[in-house]
Amino acid sequence: MNTHEIREALKASTRRHFFSRCTMGVGSMALSTMLAEQGIAAPTPALTGNPLQPKPSHFPAKAKNVIFLFMAGGPSQLEMFEHKPKLTELNGQPIPESFIAGKRFAFMDSSHRTNLLGSTRAFAQYGKNGTWVSDLLPYTAGIVDEITIVKTCQADLFNHAPAKMFMNTGSGQFGRPSLGSWVSYGLGSECKDLPGFLVLQSGPRGPRGGAVLWGSGILPTTYQGVPLRNQGDPILNLSTPQAVSEVEQRQVVDAVRELNLKRLVETGDQEIATRINAYELAYRMQSAAPELMNTDDESAETLALYGIKDPQESSYARNCLLARRLVERGVRFIQLYHTNWDHHGGPTENLQKHLPEISKEIDQASAALVLDLKRRGLLENTIVIWGGEFGRTPMGEVRENTGRNHHIDAFTMWFAGGGFRAGHVYGETDDFGFGPIEKPIHVRNIHATLLHQLGLDHERLSVRSQGLDFRLTGVLPAEVEHELLG
Amino acid sequence: MLYFSCRLNVARLPFFAIFFAGLGWHLNAAEPPPRLANFNRDVRAILAKNCFACHGFDEAAREADLRLDTRDGALDSGTVIVPGKPDESELIERIVSEDADLVMPPKKSGKELSANEKETLRLWIEQGAPYETHWAFELPKRKEPPHSADSVDPNNAAVISGDHPIDRFVRARLATEDLTASPTASATTLIRRLSLDLVGLPPTSEEVDSFLDATREDPNAAYDALVQRLLDSPHYGERWGRWWLDQARYADSNGYSIDAPRQIWKFRDWVVEALNADMPFDVFTIEQLAGDLLPNATENQKIATGFHRNTQINQEGGIDVEQFRIDSVFDRVATTGTVWLGLTVGCAQCHDHKFDPIAQTDYYRMFAFFNNQDEPTLKVFEEDVDADQLSRDRQTIEQQMAEILKDRADGLKQWEMQLSDEAKKNLPPNVRKAFEVDAKKRKIEQKRILLAASGEAGAEFTKLNVQLASLEEKLEQAATTLVLSERKEPRKSTVLIKGDFTRPADEVTPGTLSILHPLEKSADYADRFDLAKWLVSPNNPLTSRVIVNRVWQVYFGRGLVETENDFGLQGSPPSHPELLDWLALEFIERGWSLKELHRFIVTSNTYRQSSSDRPELVEKDPENILLGRQRRLRLEAEIVRDVALVASGLFSPKVGGPPVYPPIPDGVMGQGQVQRSWKASEGEDRYRRGLYTFVYRATPPPSLNVFDAPDGFSSCTRRIRSNTPLQALTLLNDPAYQEFARALEEIVKRDGVEVAFRRCTSRQPTPDELSILSRLNTLNAARVLLNLDETVTRE
Repeated sequence: MNTHEIREALKASTRRHFFSRCTMGVGSMALSTMLAEQGIAAPTPALTGNPLQPKPSHFPAKAKNVIFLFMAGGPSQLEMFEHKPKLTELNGQPIPESFIAGKRFAFMDSSHRTNLLGSTRAFAQYGKNGTWVSDLLPYTAGIVDEITIVKTCQADLFNHAPAKMFMNTGSGQFGRPSLGSWVSYGLGSECKDLPGFLVLQSGPRGPRGGAVLWGSGILPTTYQGVPLRNQGDPILNLSTPQAVSEVEQRQVVDAVRELNLKRLVETGDQEIATRINAYELAYRMQSAAPELMNTDDESAETLALYGIKDPQESSYARNCLLARRLVERGVRFIQLYHTNWDHHGGPTENLQKHLPEISKEIDQASAALVLDLKRRGLLENTIVIWGGEFGRTPMGEVRENTGRNHHIDAFTMWFAGGGFRAGHVYGETDDFGFGPIEKPIHVRNIHATLLHQLGLDHERLSVRSQGLDFRLTGVLPAEVEHELLG
Repeated sequence: MLYFSCRLNVARLPFFAIFFAGLGWHLNAAEPPPRLANFNRDVRAILAKNCFACHGFDEAAREADLRLDTRDGALDSGTVIVPGKPDESELIERIVSEDADLVMPPKKSGKELSANEKETLRLWIEQGAPYETHWAFELPKRKEPPHSADSVDPNNAAVISGDHPIDRFVRARLATEDLTASPTASATTLIRRLSLDLVGLPPTSEEVDSFLDATREDPNAAYDALVQRLLDSPHYGERWGRWWLDQARYADSNGYSIDAPRQIWKFRDWVVEALNADMPFDVFTIEQLAGDLLPNATENQKIATGFHRNTQINQEGGIDVEQFRIDSVFDRVATTGTVWLGLTVGCAQCHDHKFDPIAQTDYYRMFAFFNNQDEPTLKVFEEDVDADQLSRDRQTIEQQMAEILKDRADGLKQWEMQLSDEAKKNLPPNVRKAFEVDAKKRKIEQKRILLAASGEAGAEFTKLNVQLASLEEKLEQAATTLVLSERKEPRKSTVLIKGDFTRPADEVTPGTLSILHPLEKSADYADRFDLAKWLVSPNNPLTSRVIVNRVWQVYFGRGLVETENDFGLQGSPPSHPELLDWLALEFIERGWSLKELHRFIVTSNTYRQSSSDRPELVEKDPENILLGRQRRLRLEAEIVRDVALVASGLFSPKVGGPPVYPPIPDGVMGQGQVQRSWKASEGEDRYRRGLYTFVYRATPPPSLNVFDAPDGFSSCTRRIRSNTPLQALTLLNDPAYQEFARALEEIVKRDGVEVAFRRCTSRQPTPDELSILSRLNTLNAARVLLNLDETVTRE
């Protein structure tokens, strides 16, 4: 069928009928009021100046900054925080059908199994409340009096990429802003020479999902996370080209500003003022970011606290130290990704060898970050979050070794600082650690609680797109969990 | 007092007194007139924003058994709204209540009515609470553009008397606010604006000069000729192809976490070619949505169905493939709704739409259209390759070889038996592999391999074998592209409770939204061809409006309907409703020709105005909703690159072909789960337009991403324009831009900085500007030029 034939077919099948009707004229209200009430004048951020300018919160905030230590892949709560003697006792036996009837898991058609797998880790009690922590996390065990451990976190999605998006954006659908973007959008940034939302990575590979995890979705890209890189320029394109001296770079930025100013006067376009500001911030970033990355001014004692042997070498520990330095500089939201926690039992991802290794990579530095922030008086204003996109099943998964499958019914995260309760364990799970027996807390409520501590009402922090008001917490009811707060 | 200024204006222009009937009525009143509340204009938006979430179309979410989206629902109780009697209407009582438990909308919703909104609702009830059909669900109405006696601004002779219908609509509206249009932009600005808008490339200095000469002779003729030249350029299809590819969520990888590369650039080339050929938009629609279903579908029509193959594919381990297939069908429904209907159909995936009359069953009827496809890969051969003939040749040769094989079967057996194990080990791998298969189970290809290796084949067989290899090589050398193909037996489609694919409910058959015109089915079971025809039917009130609006927004930075992807009840009403309808009808009458639509818009004086701000506009219409001027717009990501390529003389004009890999900073590709290689292209492909840069969804090319290029995850109907320090760092330091700067430096050295300035901005620099640039060395002068706001802006 060619174009002509298609057109003929169309003509034959449809009949046009147009009609006209007298239309009402415009009213007599003031134009701006009228347009606003018709919803034509969309609420756009101020056109002038810096879109990351600090903005007032909805109500007084307990915390100013967030450091999210994201354990990408889904760490096994049953090897770290969930002491379950019964599970060990019934090792190898099938899980009662009542637990899993009607449930869906990843790898349903292949390696998913329903026999219980007891943990072989040694657990002991620490801190004032006798909090259980396993031998995988000796340093974390040392800070249980500083943190709130939440055992009953629940998510909706159990494949990595959608689940990571869910934890970061509150939705498994693409195009939603990430937590850090929402916070930058809601509060702006107090840092004058670095972006307001930075992302650091460590581990053998990037997190599944990539840039969308720190993307700004329907918010302007101004609010998206900027990866702070371990190799090459810490921020993409940060270095002045080799053929250009620092003095020349300043001259270039000055000349661009002068010429842009002329154009601003000529056209009256405020976007040019924003661009002039952007060049100034870019220029400041060129010196601020390398200065941030240079840890020569950190004491040997501090480096030892984090377990950093070679401060030049990129590692999770170094990223934790950088996170503290970023908080000192007023950066609003810092996210660390460490891969890979996906311990199914495959040749490179088993519970016996690889889980202890990766636990060692993060344990000391995570604890050191909390302690270091505290002794510098920064923990009060800084929320530290530790956790992954989900946890792992009490049932074993048989591959080359026995491992654990993805699990979203109950998994563990911990929170420190920023008004979260110190020395607290929230929620309890059943004998197998399969599901909560009390106080389940959905990711939505975690998001609402985090925003609350930052002085933001999760129901008010919204952006309009496609005729809808989008929120981090979505349309289902979400609540601030006050029991997590001190 | 704006009212008086309006009145004066109307008094001066008798035609308006008739046209704006409301104002005419006001004029006759002796005292300040009572305000009128018009449902579509004033009331619906208030109800939609504040009430419909709990008292709207979605039955499940409805509270107090009250719906306010229909008159019947609102009057049902007899007390909520009492027409003509606001004081007896509970609605009014509740919205003005100061009791926190009674007030509507409830405090908890975060919504609050302004005093004006409350007054509007009171007036509306007083007038009898009339309801009207939502404007966008009624067919466009043609209204003659108003004639204006004074479209020439007496203070500004440069404003040409506008007889263009667009100008007549726009100026009439401006006049009601006592505003006038801006003067025409300079010829230099015009050629740069037109070139960037129509082909996405800046004009060369020679093109600017010859346009200036021609303009001196006859401005209108020169302008029309320029428009024609640009519409004829093959680069037109590239520039507007990208506009469509945004909506088609095109990218070159599978998305999600693995994000493996895919080949679907043939679809991209199809779009570019279709637009260059000015394929009518209705046909353009049909071929993309249903090309495979057309009688005697051509290869191109099949390629066109790649539109709905731009969905993501999850290759993560342990997934349920059906779940993500369903997700891609959801995406197809949502994208079709957004792109053609400008409706948020996707909202009805889990429940009845909260604001628009779209039931969940409507959604799944649309879903059923897209649930019946297989998702094959199509091989596409070069034009000079006759693949069918090659296949037939191959078949003939294979038959001849099979005959010979039959004859030599015994000889082959003997050869195999006499071979020692040692000798077998020394044979080539493919032969060894064939031996590993039990002799009775060997495939014909394996037998051929063995015979060829045996030395018993004979000259005829050897010749055929060589021919076969060459044919197979030719047949291998094809690009592939993802397409749709209809299944013979449709899959069963059902409503899915809360959009959960594990919770099927009532069975549904393909159908369209019940709020709109009826679907004409060609058979009992409607298919995508029926759907496509339904979308471009002149009885559809939405498609042409939505498309002209989306074209309009590219030229003015804002659509006549600002919510370009939501023409539903929650969307914003058009700023110029008659103009929108007029354009929508013209578009259809001019045979759905996009090129004619472009020509029509860019030849208006509204388009040709200066973009500079004026004090009275800043004061009365800062957002430029009434179009009293043009608007400066930062270029789209790909065009930022294209301008630098052209300015620096590196630009490759090659159109089409596989995506390319311009240099990107080190380490970028390590962000995703799987590290992808990125070997920078050499030669011409290093300097191709941004349109051709390979886009991995999970790790998008930074220099495009930073300028707000869409990520291809879902349909993008309007790009955000951000303005960030990372953009500055890109233009200052990115390796690709360093290369552009070095090339532009050569031009500075050879031809002087003035020439380089013109290559970037199309205009002559002032002495002041030159003196600022003269302080710098040649390289840095070139870098400054590439970094100017003006260079990356269409003025």
